[in-house]
Amino acid sequence: MGKIVTLQQSIMAEDEKFASSIRKANQKRGLLMVNIIGSPGCGKTTLLEQTAKSSGLSFGVIEGDLATNRDAERLHALGVPTVQVNTHGGCHLQAHVIEKALESLPLDGLDVLFIENVGNLVCPAEFDLGEDFKAAVLSTPEGADKPLKYPYLFRSSEVILLTKTDLLPHLPFDMKMFEEDVRSLNQTAPVLRIDGIGGQGMSEWTDFLKGRIAEKRRG
Amino acid sequence: MHEVSLAESIVNALLDMKEEQGWKSVVEVRLRIGALRQVFPEILSFAFEAITPGTALEGARLVVEDVPLSFRCEECGTVWDEDAALCPACGSMHRETVAGMELDIESVEVEE
Repeated sequence: MGKIVTLQQSIMAEDEKFASSIRKANQKRGLLMVNIIGSPGCGKTTLLEQTAKSSGLSFGVIEGDLATNRDAERLHALGVPTVQVNTHGGCHLQAHVIEKALESLPLDGLDVLFIENVGNLVCPAEFDLGEDFKAAVLSTPEGADKPLKYPYLFRSSEVILLTKTDLLPHLPFDMKMFEEDVRSLNQTAPVLRIDGIGGQGMSEWTDFLKGRIAEKRRG
Repeated sequence: MHEVSLAESIVNALLDMKEEQGWKSVVEVRLRIGALRQVFPEILSFAFEAITPGTALEGARLVVEDVPLSFRCEECGTVWDEDAALCPACGSMHRETVAGMELDIESVEVEE
């Protein structure tokens, strides 16, 4: 029998170091950072495009995808400073990647920095990127049953965005069940209903962000 | 999929520690993983066994202790272990998570 050494340390200790150094740097800058998590195709990039068009906020984006610059190109076209990170098969972003990406973005004068995480409801929710909060995005075609099937994300997010609400008349989406299930997991996060293409619900999203930006600047 | 990242984090942390502490070998690594974490112990063990050969951790055993979830009511103090949103005693929705979020390296057994 060898010697037992008690460690009691987080498996993610190394990642947590990066996350906490990012958090400290953004605290000093007074910059709000939001980690946006949702499935492929749920409307994360469309949400950011519409935010660029309608919110009046000045923001930057770190785009996480397995491959291509397509999302970054969509945001560049609207004048949003964006850095694309390709994970080459990796299913989530990690804090050391964010620290590097931050170096290539002009952060002065930004109200908020969004991280659009890799499209996935599971793994991205587990990794602390140094953000102020996570925003969960679920689109109506994915189904009202998803919060309970992916509880970790919905439990750990501070705002939940239900997108593609313009499709509701065509879908058997059980809104009552969705809202009850979300509440059973998360008693405090507001649930915002958004049509990212038509722009409905965007003012609630903008107001929510403005509240958090003001809070962040007060320190 | 993210079990591979976790296994890499464990291996990197232990390789550094082994070097610093001058351990001859690591025999066993004990983890504590909470029920609320999205980690599948078998996949984590598989990933650990897949990436350790050829490193100084080759042959180390990975043992995972599952930590059941537990909530405490912030109103009446009742503790429960079902994944229920409301306090089974008073119906309050204000709960704190007592256990289930662990993702820890608890201890290692080493040869010195």
